[in-house]
Amino acid sequence: MLMSEPATVSDASTPAGMLEGDLVRRARHGDLNAYDELVKRYQERIYATIYHMTSNHEDANDLAQESFIKAYQALKSFKGGSSFYTWLYRIAVNKTINFLKQRKNRHHLSLNDLDFNAEHDPDLVALISDKTPHRDAGLSELQKKLNESLLKLSEPHRMVVVLHDVQGVSHEEIAEIAGCNVGTVRSRLFYARQQLQGYLAEYMKPA
Amino acid sequence: MNESENNFETLKQLLKLKRHEVPPPGHFSNFSGSVISRIRAGEADGGQTLTERLHVTAPWLVSFLQIFETKPGLVGAFATSLCLLLVLGVVFSERSDSSPNSLLTAATESTASSGASLTSLTAPVLAAATDNSGIVASTNPVVSLQPAAAMFGQQNPLFQSASFAPAGN
Repeated sequence: MLMSEPATVSDASTPAGMLEGDLVRRARHGDLNAYDELVKRYQERIYATIYHMTSNHEDANDLAQESFIKAYQALKSFKGGSSFYTWLYRIAVNKTINFLKQRKNRHHLSLNDLDFNAEHDPDLVALISDKTPHRDAGLSELQKKLNESLLKLSEPHRMVVVLHDVQGVSHEEIAEIAGCNVGTVRSRLFYARQQLQGYLAEYMKPA
Repeated sequence: MNESENNFETLKQLLKLKRHEVPPPGHFSNFSGSVISRIRAGEADGGQTLTERLHVTAPWLVSFLQIFETKPGLVGAFATSLCLLLVLGVVFSERSDSSPNSLLTAATESTASSGASLTSLTAPVLAAATDNSGIVASTNPVVSLQPAAAMFGQQNPLFQSASFAPAGN
């Protein structure tokens, strides 16, 4: 679930074919069909971001829904200074960080299954092939260890590594979402990676 | 920064595993529908439910009510204590209504013992006060006419009993 601009559909008379700006304008005037289309366009990315930060499917589902509801209620305050999805990301990320702070260190993993392609990803196969003869067990173990390691990071560091290294969001966009400068994003990313490297040392093979 | 980027290549490969984590099939088929129906329900309720409003305006009340939800026996205990408080309030209010009369009686007795001249001075006031016993309040000035020292059985050095007897006697 990498970040990319939504595909444009030629039929501009239906919500599915409308540009993001038009949908936002209509939704701001109470058009729920237009907002439904906006939700459809970003639901996977918003859900994935929250899921990677919480490592819990149920929490991610609830928080994603609440983020969309809050965004709709706050749509009148959206000035259009940034793109809609950056603004939406900011709402979702802030909501998730607040949730995680309230929950403190009481983490409960509820991990999603790995898709079929994971077993055939050459990078992953190379990482686990000489660790265990049972590839499936190796991947599940790696998945659990990876999620536990991510949960050890502080929320701002986890957010940066999830958005950049998992979701593929650029430094500049993360800076806009997090409300900080690009230098801060880079330094947080460097520190977060260093921490993760330490936690996952047993899976790191020397180059 | 390039060197450090290279150092993290293995970690980035490892993090690719996260992209393969997917929610159960069909999870997103009704996701937007749920969001829209929740928005509609919220609008129908005037934006916020009473509980949601209470959560914001009076969180202490919500937590107080939640105690009753978890322990229903407390509802009976709370209602009983409220009734007891009501009864006690009624009893004490009746007692406080009668207390100014007893205070007046005590004041009359003490002034009678403190000297005839003072008694003659305060008697009309006391009489007027006792005559209006129906509207006597606890702030009745009769109490303030009583010499403070006499209340504790001590002699006030500044207190002198006045005498209005003719000089010749």
